[in-house]
Amino acid sequence: MAVTERNLQLLAAALALPGVMPSAHAQSAPDKGIFELQYLSYRDWQPGRNRMSVDAPACYALIPLSDTWVVEGGMVYDAMSGASPLYFNVLSGASIGDYRTAGDLKVTKYMGDWAYSVGGFVSSEQDFLSRGGSLNLQFFSDDRNRTWLVGVAGTNDRINATNGVAPNSERNSWEFVVGVTQALTPNDIVQSNLTFYSGHGYYSDPYKPLDTRPSTRDTYAWLTRYNHYFVDADATLKIGYRLLFDSFGDTSNTFEASWAQALPWGFVVTPALRFYTQTSADFYMNPPFPSGFVEGQNYSADTRLASFGAITAGAMVSKTVWDGWNVSLRADYYRQDPDWQVFGSGSPGIQTFSARWFQVNLSKNF
Amino acid sequence: MRVVAIAVFTCVLASCAIEPPKPWEKGNLAKPEMQFDYDRLDTKTQQHIYTSKEGATGGYGVGGGGCGCN
Repeated sequence: MAVTERNLQLLAAALALPGVMPSAHAQSAPDKGIFELQYLSYRDWQPGRNRMSVDAPACYALIPLSDTWVVEGGMVYDAMSGASPLYFNVLSGASIGDYRTAGDLKVTKYMGDWAYSVGGFVSSEQDFLSRGGSLNLQFFSDDRNRTWLVGVAGTNDRINATNGVAPNSERNSWEFVVGVTQALTPNDIVQSNLTFYSGHGYYSDPYKPLDTRPSTRDTYAWLTRYNHYFVDADATLKIGYRLLFDSFGDTSNTFEASWAQALPWGFVVTPALRFYTQTSADFYMNPPFPSGFVEGQNYSADTRLASFGAITAGAMVSKTVWDGWNVSLRADYYRQDPDWQVFGSGSPGIQTFSARWFQVNLSKNF
Repeated sequence: MRVVAIAVFTCVLASCAIEPPKPWEKGNLAKPEMQFDYDRLDTKTQQHIYTSKEGATGGYGVGGGGCGCN
């Protein structure tokens, strides 16, 4: 079809409308910055016994430096206290107190039909230091309805457990991602990513007796997400699925769904559900401890490597208050139960595990 | 599990046949709720919680950094 002067004028007029300039899949440099503050209050427990509590203030900022340069970064401080399991559901007697400080910074340059991002990150605890960098490339289709993503990240972790087990240990890993985001209709968008992780080094938990894990780890993850906007209801359905294979032997399935409902006076209410299920790692052994342990072979009694299912039910309420300011409150309840493993049988002899967290966010667009 | 994976993959492929939007039809796609990981701080926080409590980790992109929690 020939493009007439009239068509071009209509197109220019349409693009000039607020909200029409496409940013749905970040294929052009954002023209607005974001500054956000967050506070998280987390607590978990098992039957009859509290475990960990975490308070975590965090911040994030995205700043367009020009029409083609964007810088973004964040920081978080986790203050942790409580008790963690030595093996299965047997907790350490002493109360643990630790903190984690983490930060990341990423710079993105938009080049027209493609963009590149270079990032760095660091996470520091009393007994753990993680550092790394990433490079991501995005390629945009001519109609800006499709974005291809190719990315790589390298990470170095150093472990120095306070109990002296395995001093000066480290592990190194690479992660690769290939993905595509496609706008299907004016109200539908889908994203699918394949991620490969490969690491080598110390993967055991130094605080769990006899814990001995393989020195290499590979994971393959396939994540697909889909959003649909219901015009009449002014609501968005968001669903997602992740399939993950781990060379430790466990396979996991994650299903997520949420419904973001716009309401009068700038409120948005988003109830959400998540279902997760995993099979056990090859070297996870059932209770009693240390049944199944053989000197020189891999062994773990960490219930996070057991076979179980987990459900999260949560909701978020957000409101645009004034002049680009937005406030949101979030509450989630989480529960792990070996009886909720649906792709096989759950691990016997372990207790349920529960957690709840509250989160408040305050953000400003500028 | 394999059936679920095939079903989702088929849906994705089938969806690709749908006609994509014109430039002036992207107003709804630009809404914050329609974007993946619009609130990156919130997304990162949720993923960190699950990483520390479950065996599986990753799949949501690269470059997030490690932690001593898993």
